[in-house]
Amino acid sequence: KKDSMAGVDDEVKIAKRKLRAKLDADRLLGPNGLEKIRKDAPKKLKFKGKGHEYKDCAKLLAFYQLWAHDLFPKAKFRDTLSMIEKLGHNRRIQVARTYYIDEDKRAKAK
Amino acid sequence: RANSVDPDEYRDANDTVDPYLRAHVHSLVAALGGPSPVKGGGYVLGDEAQYVLRDLKKWLRAYDEKLNRLDVARCLAESKLVGNDLVEILASWPEDKVEDRRWYRLALSCLELLVPLTWPLERREEMTVNHHRHITYLEYAQTGYKRAILHHRSRKVLKNCVKIALPSLAVPLKERESRDDNIIRLVLYFLRNIAAIRHPDPTEDDTGEDIGRDATIKAFEKDNVLHLMLAISSGMGEDFNVQDVPVSEILFHLLKGVNMKELFMTETQLANKEKENLASLLALEKGMDIARNRDGPTRHNRFGTQIMLTRENGKTATISGQDVLASKEKGLQKIDSSKKWRKPKGGKRQSHEDVYVPVHLSTSAKKIMREFVENFIDAGFNPLFHHIRKDIARDEDRFATSHVRVFFYLVAWFLEAERMRREAALRDNPKEVADSFSIIASVMNQETLIIIQKHMKKWWELKMWSELESVMKCFTQILLTVQDMAASPFEEDQEIAENIQSRIFYEESTLDLVHTILRGYTTQTFDYLNIITELTHVHTKMLERYSKQNTHMFVRAKKSKSSKKKKDATDKNDDSEPEIQQENSTALKEKAFDFKRFEAKLLNNSSVDSFVTFLSYYKELDYSQIKRALSFFHRVFVKRKMEIALYRLDIVELFYRIMQDSEGLPPTHPAYKELDQFTKYLIKCLVRKLQTTPCLYVELLFSKIPKTAYYLMHGRDQEIETRA
Repeated sequence: KKDSMAGVDDEVKIAKRKLRAKLDADRLLGPNGLEKIRKDAPKKLKFKGKGHEYKDCAKLLAFYQLWAHDLFPKAKFRDTLSMIEKLGHNRRIQVARTYYIDEDKRAKAK
Repeated sequence: RANSVDPDEYRDANDTVDPYLRAHVHSLVAALGGPSPVKGGGYVLGDEAQYVLRDLKKWLRAYDEKLNRLDVARCLAESKLVGNDLVEILASWPEDKVEDRRWYRLALSCLELLVPLTWPLERREEMTVNHHRHITYLEYAQTGYKRAILHHRSRKVLKNCVKIALPSLAVPLKERESRDDNIIRLVLYFLRNIAAIRHPDPTEDDTGEDIGRDATIKAFEKDNVLHLMLAISSGMGEDFNVQDVPVSEILFHLLKGVNMKELFMTETQLANKEKENLASLLALEKGMDIARNRDGPTRHNRFGTQIMLTRENGKTATISGQDVLASKEKGLQKIDSSKKWRKPKGGKRQSHEDVYVPVHLSTSAKKIMREFVENFIDAGFNPLFHHIRKDIARDEDRFATSHVRVFFYLVAWFLEAERMRREAALRDNPKEVADSFSIIASVMNQETLIIIQKHMKKWWELKMWSELESVMKCFTQILLTVQDMAASPFEEDQEIAENIQSRIFYEESTLDLVHTILRGYTTQTFDYLNIITELTHVHTKMLERYSKQNTHMFVRAKKSKSSKKKKDATDKNDDSEPEIQQENSTALKEKAFDFKRFEAKLLNNSSVDSFVTFLSYYKELDYSQIKRALSFFHRVFVKRKMEIALYRLDIVELFYRIMQDSEGLPPTHPAYKELDQFTKYLIKCLVRKLQTTPCLYVELLFSKIPKTAYYLMHGRDQEIETRA
């Protein structure tokens, strides 16, 4: 490549557009996705129960908001929620969800 | 060679119409006549005025209509024919020459020009370049026409137009010739056009108030138009026949958007309501002030506070602004609101129609309208709507879809007005016995239900949303009226109500249709959503009560076997109850849990979604609307124990936002307390559930899969039982 004349033989580089980050099944099933909720949520969320409904709810929402921020930082919380809800119809996500529930059943059975 | 200059060379390329055409039309207009040079001389007709009018009509017909352009109309608008000539001629029709042949023909010719000139300009698909060029100009010109007609200094243009129809109206129906019919139709369409013209784009300087609804109603009252409407509609079927379409269109353009509740309020009530409105606005403003004081900055805007939010995993985020110091929640909100990216939204369908745009009337116009509405219900309602309904059922070609839609809209409007009137009467005079419902009997029957159901089905399948909206509105009002009828002191009314209910709730396919429509909500307008939720609410409630009262309730289902068909046949032939009771027990059993099955079909994810979308408009909803949404959620959550359907983060977030956010409802809102109770209950149950069922943490994000919903609901034990 060094001795090519005036770069004639250089490969022409076509600038590719950067891939846009997408919230898809891969991301949702990744390490920051549903797995993380399963791992963290029961540990981190301590509810106060009766009489503290709004505080409990704020806690719950804050947990999910931070989780959503880590998962897909560019979208607002509410948008993320609706995108995830839509992804719920995806085959792979459904399989994963059923698996989690079955896991839960097995854990209870022990 | 000077003579051979091509005239086209001098033509301005940007000119909107052919200059030759314009010259022709202008010279015709000039020949029509003009103001007298003598002081107080009035308008002087040209020698050949009658022929000029005929020629202008020919131009309009042969050029504009045949070639499908609007050039002549544009030229006529530019030459101010309507304001300077036609209106003047009509106004100068002397009182003592009503019988005069020459004047009559002159006035008729003027009208024949006015009708095409004021005809509504629709933006259709098959428009040419010319249409696009002229329509905006013509819309403004039409407002000018309307202004000239309503506000001519003689104040009798409309009256004289009505006069043209009188000789033809006096002829009995059987002797009326087609010429008479045409004249009546011409006058009615003229009135329709005048009622329909509205300002295309009101601004601060040009509000269009002088041609608004208020002015129209007052002018129509003064010039006997309202009387004419009453006379024609009350004689429909006897003295009149094909006039039902234009009459109903005039009514539609007069009534759309008018709040019938306000019509039937006394002056003190109105004043109180206005006070309340003001008070609620002030309270709202105060609430905003409080929120600003609570959340707003306490120091100047360059104070420059910066906060670092540290997370357990060591991640940090910096946020600026001192308001963030207050709570973690505020910080999270700020992180969210500073995000620039927005989820691309699917285009919302917005209707460009003004059917539901509320109209504000002055007190005097309200009084006129109230009187007219009462007279109409007493005299014109039954004949007119009976006649239209009969012909719609017969599928007459003269009813276009828009006419059918107008019919449904009007029936709904008048039924609601009638209920308001009853309410007002009861309020003013509680002891007096209410009248029988017979004055609206023409729409409270099986035939009307049939066309309602037919059109609901048809328009649903064809995805004609605004039409579907009108028929659902009509259906809702019929249901509400039936409800009132059942409570009437007259035995006859009760019987009819009972009969109608048994009809409405007989066909399973129509019962299901209401659900299907609710579930099928996607991106239609808010008004559409409002109406489907109302219909569902009223329908479900009535059906629930009805099925409780009538333990022997039959439904005709689609999948009926041959034996069942026979049963239906006997059921149809004689309605007597004892016969039915003798049927075997399988039929009875099916009816017994009929409502529950029906309800179970209603309560699913899509209908929850529709109601959630509805509630997300909470800022614009009034008490009864929020109540409607709440009662649906209550039905799902408490009555049916389908909590799992509401355990969704977006729903929880919505309720939390309504109650706790600075964007939420002010605590002074009438529905606040009920919302508060429900939200607390929802959260309480959810928290409890989360602690026993950890897999719900993930499921909270999604609509549930039917297969697993049962497990999430009841825990594992019951699941095994059902499997075994």
